[in-house]
Amino acid sequence: MKWGGILGITALLMLIILYEWPKLKKNIRKMQVVFFTVITIGWVLAILLILFPNMPGPSQLIDFIFKPIGRYWEIS
Amino acid sequence: MIEKGKISSFQMALIMYAVVVATAILYIPFITAQQAKRDLWLSPLWAALSGFLIVLIITKLYKLYPKKTLVEYSELILGRTFGKIIGFIFLFFLLYDTAIAFREYGEFVESAFLHKTPIVVVTGGIALTCAFAVHGGIEVLGRSATVFLPIVLVLYVMIYLFLIPDLNVKNIFPIMEDGWIPSVKGSLAPHAWLSQFSLLSFLLPLLSDETKAMKWSILSVIVSVLTMVYINLGNIFLFGGIITNTQFPVFQAARYISIGSFFEHVESIVIAVWVLGGFVQLSAFFYMLVLGTSQWLKLPSYKPIILPFGFLIILFSIWSASSFQEMIHSMGTTTPFYFISIQLLIPMLLLCVAVFRKKLRQAK
Amino acid sequence: MMDFFRRRKNKYISLVLLLCLIILLLAGCWDRTEVNDLAIILATGVDISKNKEIELSVQVFIPKPAEGGQQGGVSSGSTSSQTLVRSAEGVTIADAMSRLQEKLTRRIFWGQNEVLIIGEKLAKKGIGDQIDFWMGHTDPRERADVFVSMDSAKEVLESMPELERDAAKQLSKLVDSQIGVKVTVKDLSEMLTGDSSAAVIPWVAKMSPSNLEVNEGKNIPFIKGSAVLKGDKMVGRLSDKESRGILWPRNEMKSGIITISLKDEKGFVSLNLLRSHNQLIPKISNGNWSIMVKTDTDLEVIQNTTNLNLLNLKSSKKVKRMVVQEIEERERLTLSKARKKMNADIFGFAGAFHRDYPGTWKRKKNEWSEIFRKVDVTFDTKVNIRRTGLSNEKAKKGGGE
Repeated sequence: MKWGGILGITALLMLIILYEWPKLKKNIRKMQVVFFTVITIGWVLAILLILFPNMPGPSQLIDFIFKPIGRYWEIS
Repeated sequence: MIEKGKISSFQMALIMYAVVVATAILYIPFITAQQAKRDLWLSPLWAALSGFLIVLIITKLYKLYPKKTLVEYSELILGRTFGKIIGFIFLFFLLYDTAIAFREYGEFVESAFLHKTPIVVVTGGIALTCAFAVHGGIEVLGRSATVFLPIVLVLYVMIYLFLIPDLNVKNIFPIMEDGWIPSVKGSLAPHAWLSQFSLLSFLLPLLSDETKAMKWSILSVIVSVLTMVYINLGNIFLFGGIITNTQFPVFQAARYISIGSFFEHVESIVIAVWVLGGFVQLSAFFYMLVLGTSQWLKLPSYKPIILPFGFLIILFSIWSASSFQEMIHSMGTTTPFYFISIQLLIPMLLLCVAVFRKKLRQAK
Repeated sequence: MMDFFRRRKNKYISLVLLLCLIILLLAGCWDRTEVNDLAIILATGVDISKNKEIELSVQVFIPKPAEGGQQGGVSSGSTSSQTLVRSAEGVTIADAMSRLQEKLTRRIFWGQNEVLIIGEKLAKKGIGDQIDFWMGHTDPRERADVFVSMDSAKEVLESMPELERDAAKQLSKLVDSQIGVKVTVKDLSEMLTGDSSAAVIPWVAKMSPSNLEVNEGKNIPFIKGSAVLKGDKMVGRLSDKESRGILWPRNEMKSGIITISLKDEKGFVSLNLLRSHNQLIPKISNGNWSIMVKTDTDLEVIQNTTNLNLLNLKSSKKVKRMVVQEIEERERLTLSKARKKMNADIFGFAGAFHRDYPGTWKRKKNEWSEIFRKVDVTFDTKVNIRRTGLSNEKAKKGGGE
């Protein structure tokens, strides 16, 4: 199941690359770099999420930072 | 400039209305009621302060740096390095905000209809649709807002008009039983939602009639607040004391409609129309995110990064909360502070520094 | 031209593949619901079974083509019923629901469920959990009408009404006529969690059918008064007349006919209720809790068997006074029963005090059930006779005049 997910996501991202490539080829280098960086970030994050679904994320960070104020809004 | 299209101030107001209200009407009544109980309809009024303040700040900043968005002028105000950092923080927030909006959309569709469908399918579906709209540029967004939102607005109003025989006005009394504290406490979530008017900054440079911008943005805030008050009032009239345990009161209210035993079971229509508003909202978020990012990186176009960012948004929407309960809980306690501190404090900081710099320049 | 296509070919292939993905997304195979895969529930009954478990009974609609046409209008009472009743037991209502699903080949669909009947035994034990479940579950409607039945709820569902096609229709039509109380799941939940935490629910009894030969052994459910709940437990019953008495103070009186007789006149006057507006005006002074039940009602005369000419102001006044007395008497009757026998604040006095005296209410909230017995209730009833019918002539002239 996990491998299926990883394969599926890789296939999806490949499709996105294939779709954008003809236009991207003619674009400036910076654009290409940004495009592939975002794709890579997405790919790594997706795989991490598939392997560790309960990985702490930005919400946990926000919770941690604002806990001292948010405490007054807790409903007992 | 990356975006060549133009929209009118009216369209801008409609887009901002969608950005704030589409998910607000679903989640605000429940979250607000936890604190404010019977006074939940007062909370959006307190939150209006945030809305007005942020509109004033953003329009003031825009006057100082015409034709620039927040991401662009933060560099001019704070210098290259700090400006980039602030820009990144804001964009990361926007990514998170967009992801949350997608998640809210998905959770609602899930709890209302598609119980077994994986949420990724729901959010992925709308993300792909939005990607097409975003690809079309701001003019497509503006036009879909003008076409869809009047229908959506009429729908919001109609739900409770159809319920008039079932509404009990006495439910709001006694007003402010425990003083004004509960309603102020309950206004936390509305504050967060209305602080999203900081995103106005991305739309102002695209206006064809800048002179009317201020008027329409203020109007948009007022209508958003009034819509929330209207929805909250309708819910308290209908549900009374049980408002604190109805998770999607608007949906349940729509289900409650029954006129002459033939006009009933209309919730599917309500959701179908609501999705139009949700579509405008999510597309607007999506658009601002990719536009802001390409301005931050000084890219010539935002179009190639739409799909990768769509993918990223969906990932974040899954990542942002492990369950519905967790999402609702953090929206009632900590997340609003994140919203307010990024969307209110950063523009405020920028404005202070900008005014200070201007004074310094004039002194010389 | 060929060159153009070759250059674009790559893009088109990937576009087509992406579009294929959309098809995958939009198919919605997960939550597909086909009408012919659904068991449409029309009414639900909840009982407590012999094993002290929850027994959930449902009335399922049997879809089949209408056959009335071919029979050439022969009495439709003889056609086999369009519904069937199934039930299952479980420790909780959700548990029973899943057991019930095992007995049905089609997926249970709650969207059309308009009636919820609760058996008396269960009502006496407490229905809080059941109502919470009904409010919290996403499928059943909050608008379903709630009833408490004298027999087991299952029996009511199995009964065959004569005029309507099934028990569900029969009951929901009866409450829609607005003669008695009408309570939806939402209302009930609101009443039970509200300040007075008391509720009235229509009471279902059975009557024997008119045509005994055809419908032997099949009873017809009808509404006879109401059940009174306090907390979430049934504590007593009100007769038909008494239930009418709660409608006034609760401002739910929408239609009905009042018949009065006058002291010094032979015969009766019947009046039809046009509209009525009620208000509870609470007052607390020196620790004395009092409440005024203010009624403002419009009536029209529909039958007059007395010799009075109602166009005459004097006699019309007489009738008005009688009507006021009649209404107040009904209200008093119900009030004394609710106070003495059940001590259940079914009129919503608690809410009225809470609204007008939030401070005092907060302090005295816990003593409410004692205060309720002592609240001084006064009545202020205003009656307007709008019309006196089309004719005043008497067909039968008693020779005397």
